Amino acid sequence: MKIIVDGAKCQGNARCWAQDNEMFNLDDEGYLPSQTIVVPDTPEKQLAARRAVRACPERALALEE
Amino acid sequence: MATLASTRPAHVPEEHLGDFNLMDDPSMLPRPNGEPHAAIAKLLDGPPVFYSLNNTRNGEGAWFVIRAEDQRRVLQDGETFSSNRNIFASALGETWPTIPLELDPPEHGKWRSLLNPPLSPRRVMNLEPFVRQRAVELIDEIKARGNSCEVMSEFAFPFAVSIFLQFLGIPNDRLMEFVGWANDLLHSTPEARTKAARTVIAYLDDLQELRRREPTDDFMSFVTQAEVDGRKLTQHEVKQMSVLLFIAGLDTVAAALGFDFLYLARNLDDQALLRAEPQRLTLAAEELMRAFPTVTPVRRATRDVELHGRLIKAGDLVACPSMTANRDPAEFPEPEKIDLAREDNRHVAFAYGPHRCLGSHLARREVVIGLEEFLARVPEFRIKEGVDPIVNGGFVFGVENLVLTWN
Repeated sequence: MKIIVDGAKCQGNARCWAQDNEMFNLDDEGYLPSQTIVVPDTPEKQLAARRAVRACPERALALEE
Repeated sequence: MATLASTRPAHVPEEHLGDFNLMDDPSMLPRPNGEPHAAIAKLLDGPPVFYSLNNTRNGEGAWFVIRAEDQRRVLQDGETFSSNRNIFASALGETWPTIPLELDPPEHGKWRSLLNPPLSPRRVMNLEPFVRQRAVELIDEIKARGNSCEVMSEFAFPFAVSIFLQFLGIPNDRLMEFVGWANDLLHSTPEARTKAARTVIAYLDDLQELRRREPTDDFMSFVTQAEVDGRKLTQHEVKQMSVLLFIAGLDTVAAALGFDFLYLARNLDDQALLRAEPQRLTLAAEELMRAFPTVTPVRRATRDVELHGRLIKAGDLVACPSMTANRDPAEFPEPEKIDLAREDNRHVAFAYGPHRCLGSHLARREVVIGLEEFLARVPEFRIKEGVDPIVNGGFVFGVENLVLTWN
């Protein structure tokens, strides 16, 4: 499972960070730069990843299974 | 100006007019036990975009964009939908934008980059001990006075104002003065508003002078020492920023807390649940922000845009009430239900797009910590019998006269 981050859409709502502050490592301004995050293969991380994607008000995250 | 109120612009056909407006719709006026959120959510049953007359203090009309998806489009596109409206300055008869809210991209970005770090989710954690201490002090004072309080004036307002003062670097002994100015600025006559605005500016100017000479570790020192475009900020720019922090951080946090207390005083099962399991508060506070958001961002179109077959012309105002987006069934399953364990809560209480509330992470912690300490220290509270809380809609929804009582 991967998460594609569209950094141009990120506005620093930090709802992904609230789900998992390791997987979603915000920069000093509190934003998530464009990147592809490889989600560790554990049920907890995968649940956090799915929730983070759904919780983004800007729809800056996309899930790729 | 009043003539604007009664005039439909030529490019708006009769069938695109709606009869709801924020200024004088009966459901938006202060009323005992009013339910302005439920009232404005009814707009979701009507057209997704409509024009209504008389939506600003000076009588301008505005387009209303009701659904979450459409609001996202408007608020994410700061080039097409400008937020340069000079609202605070207009109370002084002047024309200048607050920074960064009333600046548009790309100019907006460099100011936002300056201000984001001190208000990032990680950095606001440093303020938590102070936030908690203030909550506890205010609650202890309330309990020393008896088993009842007007929670807005005795807790929510002084709590929000004192955290702002601490952040900016103003001693807490000025608290009640600032509460008074904030009240005049937000809820008073035009004359009192102008007077309060001048008083606040004069005070912030003095503080700025002081911190330029003798910097400490507060926000005012930070902005007076900071650089943008390789130069120090001007006195005017610092004023444009500090004034925004003052107006943005007061009413909104207090109002959010007020709606939370109102909900918990009326829903004793949920109150008991959060008291027993305070770890639920982080999610619960998000759900209450979804259910009872307080603001309606307004933008001005910079070019002609069509939305749902309506022509929004360059120069038109566009209003995006967070209350309708937050109850949009396309965005939230069972939007009318308040579910304190709701996950994936992508509500828009802090707006979408580049102007997403700069203080949102601090605001979130203020609300959670305020509720946490109140629930930990005050037993089951209800609304005092025979006293009706007054709830208002409009540009910033709010509650007054919320008298809580407990045994």
